[in-house]
Amino acid sequence: MERISAELGRAVQGKEAQARLVTTCLVSGGHLLLEDVPGVGKTTLAEALARACGLSFARVQFTADLMPADILGAQIFHAQTATFQFRPGPLFRQLVLADELNRAPPRTQSALLEAMAQGQVSLDGSTHALPSPFTVVATQNPVDFSGTYPLPDSQLDRFMLRLSLGHPAPDVEAKLLATRGRAPPLDAVQTVSSPEEVDMLRTLASELRLDGTVADYVVRLARATREHGDIERGASTRAVLALGAAARTQALWEARDFVTPGDVRAVLVPCWAHRVLLRSAVQGVAARDEAAHLLEELTRKVPAPR
Amino acid sequence: MTKGSRLRLVLRDVASGCAFASMAVSGQLPLWTLGLYGVALVAALAGKRLFARRAKLTALLLLGVAAVLAVNVTSGALNLVVAACAFAGLISAHRLLSAPDAATDGQVHLSGLLMVAGGAALSGELVYGLFLVAFSVLSSVSMALGVVEAAVPEGEPVPVRAVLRPLATGVTFAVAGAMAFFILFPRLNWNMTGPRAAPGLGPATTGFSNTVRLGGAGTIKDNPRIVLRATLSPDPGGDALNAYWVGRTYDIFDGLEWTNAGGVRREREPLLTLRPGGDNLIHQRVELLPAYGGRTLIALETPSRLGNAVANGSTGSRRTFLQELAGGEARFLEAGLSYSYEAYSLPPGGSGDTFRRLPSVEQDALLALPEALDPRVSQTAARVLNGEREPLAAAQKLAAWLQREHAYTLELSGEREDPLADFLFERKAGHCEHFATALTLMLRTQGIRARLATGFFGGERVNDGYVLRAGDAHAWTHVLVPERGFVTVDATPPAHRPSQGSRLLQRLLGLYEALESRWRNSVVDYSFRDQVDVARALVRPPKGSESTERSRLPPPRAWGAALLAGMVVYAAWRLVTRLVGRPRPHEATRFVDLVEAVLLPARLFRAEGETLEDLDARLAREGHPLAPALAPATRRYLEARFGGRPLRQGEAEQLIRALQRAVTAHVRLEAQRARAAAAEPRARAS
Repeated sequence: MERISAELGRAVQGKEAQARLVTTCLVSGGHLLLEDVPGVGKTTLAEALARACGLSFARVQFTADLMPADILGAQIFHAQTATFQFRPGPLFRQLVLADELNRAPPRTQSALLEAMAQGQVSLDGSTHALPSPFTVVATQNPVDFSGTYPLPDSQLDRFMLRLSLGHPAPDVEAKLLATRGRAPPLDAVQTVSSPEEVDMLRTLASELRLDGTVADYVVRLARATREHGDIERGASTRAVLALGAAARTQALWEARDFVTPGDVRAVLVPCWAHRVLLRSAVQGVAARDEAAHLLEELTRKVPAPR
Repeated sequence: MTKGSRLRLVLRDVASGCAFASMAVSGQLPLWTLGLYGVALVAALAGKRLFARRAKLTALLLLGVAAVLAVNVTSGALNLVVAACAFAGLISAHRLLSAPDAATDGQVHLSGLLMVAGGAALSGELVYGLFLVAFSVLSSVSMALGVVEAAVPEGEPVPVRAVLRPLATGVTFAVAGAMAFFILFPRLNWNMTGPRAAPGLGPATTGFSNTVRLGGAGTIKDNPRIVLRATLSPDPGGDALNAYWVGRTYDIFDGLEWTNAGGVRREREPLLTLRPGGDNLIHQRVELLPAYGGRTLIALETPSRLGNAVANGSTGSRRTFLQELAGGEARFLEAGLSYSYEAYSLPPGGSGDTFRRLPSVEQDALLALPEALDPRVSQTAARVLNGEREPLAAAQKLAAWLQREHAYTLELSGEREDPLADFLFERKAGHCEHFATALTLMLRTQGIRARLATGFFGGERVNDGYVLRAGDAHAWTHVLVPERGFVTVDATPPAHRPSQGSRLLQRLLGLYEALESRWRNSVVDYSFRDQVDVARALVRPPKGSESTERSRLPPPRAWGAALLAGMVVYAAWRLVTRLVGRPRPHEATRFVDLVEAVLLPARLFRAEGETLEDLDARLAREGHPLAPALAPATRRYLEARFGGRPLRQGEAEQLIRALQRAVTAHVRLEAQRARAAAAEPRARAS
């Protein structure tokens, strides 16, 4: 994991924390939502992840005319054998970058989200299993909403973590300016892992010990979001499960074989900030910021097990 | 001041006035307190808050008032409760005249509650009830207005008119509902759910056994619990009755124990006639209290008729039958916690009992002597009597001799083989049973018929009746006098006949028993039947003024007591559930507490919501010198708490010691550094 994260850091410089979280998401078996303004390295990050882990990669640019068949694949008529044959779409890769997910019509979005949830694609009555590990990295521009179909909250819930990269620090940016011209950033990324290794890490993470008190802590946090006055809809059960999985991977980072309340808090904001629906009318980035702020306040209010 | 807050203050002041009036209607408050409070109330209603400027200084006035009241109480001119009530009223008066703010409002309402409670203690009449309702309504509305006022933003008008109406309706409904609920809601007796243990101060201590056994200490004589309450008619008056209350008699003595020759005489009698009555019978309405513990009826000597027996059990009261046993004993057929019955007794001296009415077995038993009777008993009796053959005179002579020659004691240790001989010739000291047994047997050795009677001696005036305590239990002798029947002769020295307990204890016990009985009558036993009675009284107004006095409704004092008890129980319940519900701290949690205590000297605290894990991470981030020392402790704590690897024996101490050393070294280093830093500028200056 350290290696993967280090390679990601090489591609997207100055974003070690985010690189760690991206790796966490991959190892926890979740899907990632990157929300940020264009041009901060979202796509680069996803590609670097695929390369570092040796995952097959596909990038789908979501547009308003993208149809489900474009990503899932289609039955093609073979003239020679006079049969229909399934030709897999770009989704049949281990890592799929769904760029600007909110530009596609809801139909396509839901096709993707269903595939994310089920790990398989149903087409014309036949089911096609997706490769393993299967991870979707979706990006979304939170500022420019015109001509988009914003993801409904229920769909957002399917993403395990949500990240925004933010602009790089000035010195990093200056360094980029000096070096980027020479070599594309992805060339620096080496394959340091394999899909098998990612699978192994996933198994390892899922077997970590989650003490009853920590589980109770997660549940209490969830209840606190549900009962909070400023929150319209609190964390769902899926959110609770996702937080548990992410916290397990977080514990793996710390080289522990058990989860502590600190692990839970470390991944709480990226895991839940996009899932809670606020009462206030703020939208986009501001909503995320406020949700993050509320969740941090909750971690101070809900007493951690001692 | 806005219109809304003026209305609120007026309501508050009038409510306080009602509370004061609820005490004042008792007519017990000193006149000057009435005057002071009245002046304060009028000034407050006129909006003159005289003490607004110097609240603390004027509070000294209260001290002066307290001193005056204290002097009155110590000199005996004023009852303590009355003084406390008056003081509550004057506190309220002071608060009325202070600057009106939220705290003062609260204090006025609180002192109002105090005054209402005081009023319950002082009077508790219907007028009191009216003032109580007025107080609760007015102060509720005033408080509600206060809440509304506080909720309205500064500078905006308070919507008094809009809220007043729903408020008034709500308060009316609440008051009416509360009263209706208590009076009308069908209720079960509290003790219906299961049989209760003997109420009050533990199990009963007296009671009549089938035998009287000589020997052992007479511990019962200092037991001050009240076992019997009786009202007599005609009422003899006087503070002490000094009468014999008989329970039963015994006729056979085997050297150790008194028993009876006969068995059950009559079963299941609703009314028991023991002896022919006369015109001048004394009527008694007797109540046997739970402390009594027996089933034998007690009546003034000599009972002639018993009846109208009611057993009060845990499920209510019911009529019970009586049973007559040998020895003139009457018993309730059914067991109850307490009993009540009526008895008629012949006046003392004129016993209507005739020897011939007794069965022949019992007649013979009156002369029976134990087989192994010490011959000295007979000799001594003959010597003392010196030829006296008339039964009553002989008995009185012997009793006088016994009182002269023998001491009264309750401290008799050890079991004696022949307790009678031991009492008469060895120890020469004993209690009532010894005296009575000695007299009875000495008479019998001289051919005079006699028997032992047990029951109570005394009778202490309480209100309009008399009470007997467990310590009043007594034994005496019945001598058969031809043509007169059985006559009572008591060989026990007169000073030792009634209860031997301490006066203070008796007073306290009396108070407690009175409270308990009131509590049971007014709250616990306020039952469906009482409710029916209330309903009936509403439909059919009582005829005479006498029946109006005997209201079945519990007095307001009982209401207050029930409320207080409820609150105490609730508080206790909350406390207990909190204590029980509090999770036992995990071993690792105790460890973490230790770690935090060790870190204190280094001025390392957890921030709000921060755990040791976070603290450790923060120190590591900041490169704090103690971070390396803290890391292993934190690691082990996390493992023990969340990783399922508990701390080994002594491991916690080891980790703590290591951390302690690091912290001490760090603190010392810091101190040195601080000293050096302080010394440096001076060196430079020089």
